[in-house]
Amino acid sequence: MAKQVVLLVGTKKGLYTLRSDADRKKWAVDGPHEAPAPIHHATYDPRDGSMYAAINATWGGSRIDYSRDMGKTWQKSKNPAFPEGSDRTFFQTWHVEPGHTKTPNVVWAGTEPAALWKSEDRGETWELNQALDDQPSRAKWVPGFGGMGLHSIAIDADDPKKMQVGISVGGVYTSTDGGASWVQDNAQTGGKEDRPDVFYCIHKLLAHPKVSGVRFMRVHVDVYWREPGETKWRNRTEGLPSTFGFAAAMHPRDRSVAYVIPLDDMKRTASPPGIGVYSTNDRGATWTRNDKGLPPGAALESVREGMDTDLLDPLGVYFGTANGDVWASRDEGKSWERAAQYLPYVTSVHAATID
Amino acid sequence: MRVLLHGAYRGFAGGARDVTLDAATLREALAALVSAHPSLAERLRDEHGRLRAHLSLFVNQEDARFLGGEDATLADGDIVHVLPALSGG
Repeated sequence: MAKQVVLLVGTKKGLYTLRSDADRKKWAVDGPHEAPAPIHHATYDPRDGSMYAAINATWGGSRIDYSRDMGKTWQKSKNPAFPEGSDRTFFQTWHVEPGHTKTPNVVWAGTEPAALWKSEDRGETWELNQALDDQPSRAKWVPGFGGMGLHSIAIDADDPKKMQVGISVGGVYTSTDGGASWVQDNAQTGGKEDRPDVFYCIHKLLAHPKVSGVRFMRVHVDVYWREPGETKWRNRTEGLPSTFGFAAAMHPRDRSVAYVIPLDDMKRTASPPGIGVYSTNDRGATWTRNDKGLPPGAALESVREGMDTDLLDPLGVYFGTANGDVWASRDEGKSWERAAQYLPYVTSVHAATID
Repeated sequence: MRVLLHGAYRGFAGGARDVTLDAATLREALAALVSAHPSLAERLRDEHGRLRAHLSLFVNQEDARFLGGEDATLADGDIVHVLPALSGG
């Protein structure tokens, strides 16, 4: 059966889906689902075909919806709930991460207030990860500009017990026992040491889906790479036009390739003016600007969950913008076409490759 | 007495708009409402049992916050309004 690509596009007012065949030339837009709720993230689980969406509603509380029929219908999970006696209340979900293929029913979620939640029933109920919650260093976590959330859940390609989480602003924590225990994991090399607080403001942390131990991290200031066996985050910012940004993606096959969209630290829009996707093919040692097809000079921005790739060859790369565009590349990020426009502010893009 | 559900709360209750029940206080009315429509439980209160933000409760034409909150007393013929609070401008 021919493959198709479904983009799950979260916006500030509902969830949209963009569907295309393997050519990825024409996109059928459907939505919104659950407008006017902001959707911080939505994802597809290739293990069983489920979809998950973080429905961060104003009225009636936020929910995590799941779909078992490719987005035709959605059900509501039992909310993440802090234990009785906790001084915190579940506010909203920032990220949903399907578990490893070796743990087929496990799904993870990161929320605000910053906490990690595990589902062992494919997203129907959620249990607080107490070990992370009990970290004494949690007292030092503080909100970033967008709130205090756990937004990155990086599960190792080979071993589901090895994982990292990224918190804004709380830094990186690593577990080697499936979340039973955690250690802070913020040692860096090659970066500036004058703003340790900024280094704890993680913007996006990714695990390579095929190569164990490979990580790529977009921090408030600078980007970092980690190779298997390394215990420090290696600064790989040189060659980028600015140190700031949110959106980040890794090539699902080539373990040396990653993508970022640099933004101006103060204006929070593309830097230099005119959005460009920067790619590396040498683990961040050098960066190349890719802007063919993108609007010159446009003051666009793409946020934390704003970029993703499909699994096709050549690779499709996608990003959404605050002005409601979704851009697609069918040639590994070299050139770009607009897949959708006039959507609400795009907060997340996830590319599902479906057989 | 009657409870009228407005806006999003109708959807949370499977489309119900008008619920008749017996209650002496607003707290009792909300408990009876949830008994009649369990899907409202998580929509009205958070995991600690606190009323959610962006939820407005009126008794007849008065905001319940000025009638004692959930302790507000109810009488036969009163109408409780469950409203999505004005949000966003």
